[in-house]
Amino acid sequence: MPVVDVDPDALRGLTDRTEKTNEEFKEDLFGLGLEFEGETDDGELQFEFAPDRLDRLSVEGVARSLRYHYGDDRGVYVPDTNDAEWTIEVDESVPDERPYVTGAVVRGVDLDESALESLIQLQEKLHATMGRGRAKGAIGIHDLAMVKGAPLREGAERSITYRGIEPDGETFVPLDSNDELTPAEVLAEHDTGRTYADLVSEYDRYPAIYDELGLFSFPPVINGRRTEVDTESRELLVELTGTDQWTIDKMCTIVCYALSARGATIEEVEVAYADGTTHPEEYGSDLVRPNLEVDEKSVSHDRIETLLGVDFEPRDVVDCFERSGLDASYTLDEAVTYEVEIPPYRVDVLHPLDLVDDVGRAHGFDELEPRYPDVGTVGGRHERTRLEDAVRTSLVGLGFEDLLNFHMTSGEENYDRMRIEPGTDVLGGDEPVRITEPYSEEYTQLRTWALPSLLLLLEGNTHNAYPQDVAEVGFVAERDETENTNVAESRHVAGAVARRDASYEAAKGRLQAVCDDFGAELETPRTDHPTFIDGRTAAVVLDGESVGVIGEVHPAVLVDHDLEVPVAAFEFDLDALR
Amino acid sequence: MRLPERQLAVLEAASATDERTMDEIAAETDLKPETVTGAAFDLRDEGLLAVTETATEVAELTDEGRDYVADGLPETRLYRAAVDAGAADGAVPMGEVIGRADLAGPEVDIALANLPRKGFGRIDSGELTVDPDADPDADPEAAALEALADGESVDDEAVLDRLASRGLVDLAERTTRAVRLTDDGVDALMEGVEAAETVGQVTPELLASGEWADVEFAEYNVEADAPAVEGGRKHVLRRTADRVKDVLVGMGFQEMEGPHADSDFWINDCLFMPQDHPARTHWDRFALDVDPMEDIPPALLDRVETAHRDGWGEDGDGYHSPWSEEFAREVALRGHTTSLSMRYLSGYAGAELEPPQRYFSVEKVYRNDTLDPTHLLEFFQIEGWVMAEDLSVRDLMGTFEEFYRQFGITDIRFKPHYNPYTEPSFELFGDHPETGEEIEIGNSGIFREEVTGPLGVDCDVMAWGLALERLAMLTTGAEDIRDLHGTLADIDFLRTAEVSY
Repeated sequence: MPVVDVDPDALRGLTDRTEKTNEEFKEDLFGLGLEFEGETDDGELQFEFAPDRLDRLSVEGVARSLRYHYGDDRGVYVPDTNDAEWTIEVDESVPDERPYVTGAVVRGVDLDESALESLIQLQEKLHATMGRGRAKGAIGIHDLAMVKGAPLREGAERSITYRGIEPDGETFVPLDSNDELTPAEVLAEHDTGRTYADLVSEYDRYPAIYDELGLFSFPPVINGRRTEVDTESRELLVELTGTDQWTIDKMCTIVCYALSARGATIEEVEVAYADGTTHPEEYGSDLVRPNLEVDEKSVSHDRIETLLGVDFEPRDVVDCFERSGLDASYTLDEAVTYEVEIPPYRVDVLHPLDLVDDVGRAHGFDELEPRYPDVGTVGGRHERTRLEDAVRTSLVGLGFEDLLNFHMTSGEENYDRMRIEPGTDVLGGDEPVRITEPYSEEYTQLRTWALPSLLLLLEGNTHNAYPQDVAEVGFVAERDETENTNVAESRHVAGAVARRDASYEAAKGRLQAVCDDFGAELETPRTDHPTFIDGRTAAVVLDGESVGVIGEVHPAVLVDHDLEVPVAAFEFDLDALR
Repeated sequence: MRLPERQLAVLEAASATDERTMDEIAAETDLKPETVTGAAFDLRDEGLLAVTETATEVAELTDEGRDYVADGLPETRLYRAAVDAGAADGAVPMGEVIGRADLAGPEVDIALANLPRKGFGRIDSGELTVDPDADPDADPEAAALEALADGESVDDEAVLDRLASRGLVDLAERTTRAVRLTDDGVDALMEGVEAAETVGQVTPELLASGEWADVEFAEYNVEADAPAVEGGRKHVLRRTADRVKDVLVGMGFQEMEGPHADSDFWINDCLFMPQDHPARTHWDRFALDVDPMEDIPPALLDRVETAHRDGWGEDGDGYHSPWSEEFAREVALRGHTTSLSMRYLSGYAGAELEPPQRYFSVEKVYRNDTLDPTHLLEFFQIEGWVMAEDLSVRDLMGTFEEFYRQFGITDIRFKPHYNPYTEPSFELFGDHPETGEEIEIGNSGIFREEVTGPLGVDCDVMAWGLALERLAMLTTGAEDIRDLHGTLADIDFLRTAEVSY
């Protein structure tokens, strides 16, 4: 879950609540779903919250939510914007993999250290969340005074260009460096470049932003040093590139709201997609950004009442909306429906249901009285789990310790250490279902049988007292193209008797008892299985069908598992007891 | 007549003329006093012995009393020191005498309180004068202490009461039992009594022959440890799962079942999880090296894709995330059992469901995480949902309050939360029944219309999930989940974990 670092002094300033203590803020924010996690070294408060309200990723957004919570602000707020002077031209050389760009100009900025830090934090947190680690959207913020824009086409006053370049097609000095590097060199030599190299290394052309003086930003990797922002910067250029226009527009909007809360003025920019470029279908090729349009959705009074289980007066519902930073109007017809306006920084409202949630939060979910739903249904267990349980009860009655082992294992445990091979016609020899990118060498496939798990457990318990009679009714799986999932899943019954006097007879006596419990007729014709001793191995044949194996485990397997007692074991398919 | 050996011994040791105490009989027969007492009562019940009980008060020295026997009573020591200091001739400052008397701590107060009481002298304005004629050697309290220390008895009750109130002796009542042969006892002995044979084990022969009636069973040391017996036990997690299942079945829930390896469609897409959601990256899921799933109902697939791309309903917005059918058809181990809920709600798992319905499962899920004391790659998820017309948040709260109450967790709290698949959503918190610590005990919510709509469900469905291991760790006190679950389990832990029910 995202964590936001909040400077409590900035929060007091932005909420006009100079009298609030840190403790009071923690309590108020808990009510909004931001949970206090701790303090940073410089005394900032850290809050964790669910990743829906990404507009709260900086102190400015947190303050805005609090002002609504305190009732200081009501309804939708949209900052005023000045008309565009700058244009972002999108050149047809732009990389196909990252076609979209957006941006804004921000003037009259007065950033102290804390405000600058907050801006950088917001940028990084947006990268991590909506930006999907910069892959979907990346933000570059520049000192506009250092950008030189000459009009590239008629009608535009000043412009910069988003284009694609050869990996070694140009040099610039990136942030945190003194060297003129090409984009390819940045990926190879610069720390930040190496971190984000995977995002663009497969591209034919690399994303680049140019002004009249040349390359000044290499999104989504790093900005150039020339346009670096510091506390002296008064005017900013914000640009975002990405794989989805809506996403980068929303990220841009959240940044603009934060800077506006610090007293800056937002100025529009035009985004001009050249012929031959991929432009966002829903917006056309000429855009004016940031997009601060208010969205509208309608929700019925009845839905709010049934979902929250509370009767409301329409004016109370409108009050809840306004205290959530939304506006709502309705006509008093027989069925009241609210037309709700949603400010552009909200990225979480996908459906009218989300508006009901806002009403619930503003009303206070704590206020709701729980009630047990007056709905009658009949309960019951699934036949398969009842059968499994009945077999477990039988095994436990015979003195077996019931086990619960992992379903994932390795080829070494499943086959090699049991002296069998995949693709052979013995129990356990089925072809494995493998994990494509295993995290650990110990868990690379699903087990095809359960006995290896039992032996692993015995191996790990040689320090404990014997006898150790263990059993499991558990999941096994093999490849099977006749299944819709291409995996055949089943349950096996496995038992192992580990004790000084463990013998074939000891295992068979117990197996017989289980089979008798379920009315299954057991025969044990002689068979061969590499895990067991020749001449002391039999097939488990239940009601005429061969469904498993029983025998004395081969000394080579025992010694390999550090076992100094004999082990006799059986394993068969649970379905045979049905 | 035949009597068990020990009864015979007691009978023979008893006298018809003199009462003999149990201790005397024990000494003579070489039996334990409690054995003699038991045998004596058995013989009394047979009418062969009479048992009399005499209660006597017994005084025993306390530790403090024993100290004074060795050192002398504090008041006596003070008196002698005062005489040495010349207090018999006139008042002497107290400090001087106390120093000389070598009295420690509380002994000073004891001496000062008792010296005037016994008439040894008097204290006036911090000065001490003693009576030269007093005779501490004749002090009855000191004499009584000496007598008790020598094992003699003291008859002067006033003195004993005084010593008891000073905490120097403990007074206790002791019952002394004594036996005497009755006339029947004498007759029996005259006629001759034989010792009955003792037997080690009850055998089939003993029972069949009826000999058991005449034998005496050898005594065992019933307090000794017996060799350990290891019965089989159901796995502690299974038992916790059984308990959960019992509760849910009792609340009207039906059990679901379905594949562990499933397509991303059922695992995530139906749940309205965007395909670029961090939990769907290869780091978090266990993708399997099998071919994609072919059979997914095409109309359902279309509706789910629509929900992702364009949203659901007139005012719905989709995600601005890529969506591909190929990804939806990929097969992986399920990261939650909500895939089963999707299969049931859509009617794919069986019949089309009409409200009302309640379903649950307690089954395994797989998460690609680091193995540590509280995280496993495989664990059990408790999953449950209720489908009905017009369910509200209040119904959700009422249902979960009832569920958790069954596990002793009352006063649960609902913290508004966010899940991609439910709205409103709540994290559930409760207090640990033993430590009182606040713990997260589940995640819940009402399925979004983007989830239920494409599945063809046109009423409300509320759902919740919880890790079973979390409940089990609470109920067993296990601190490392790996002791419980998997091939690293400690068999000793499984054998000794307390049974929960």
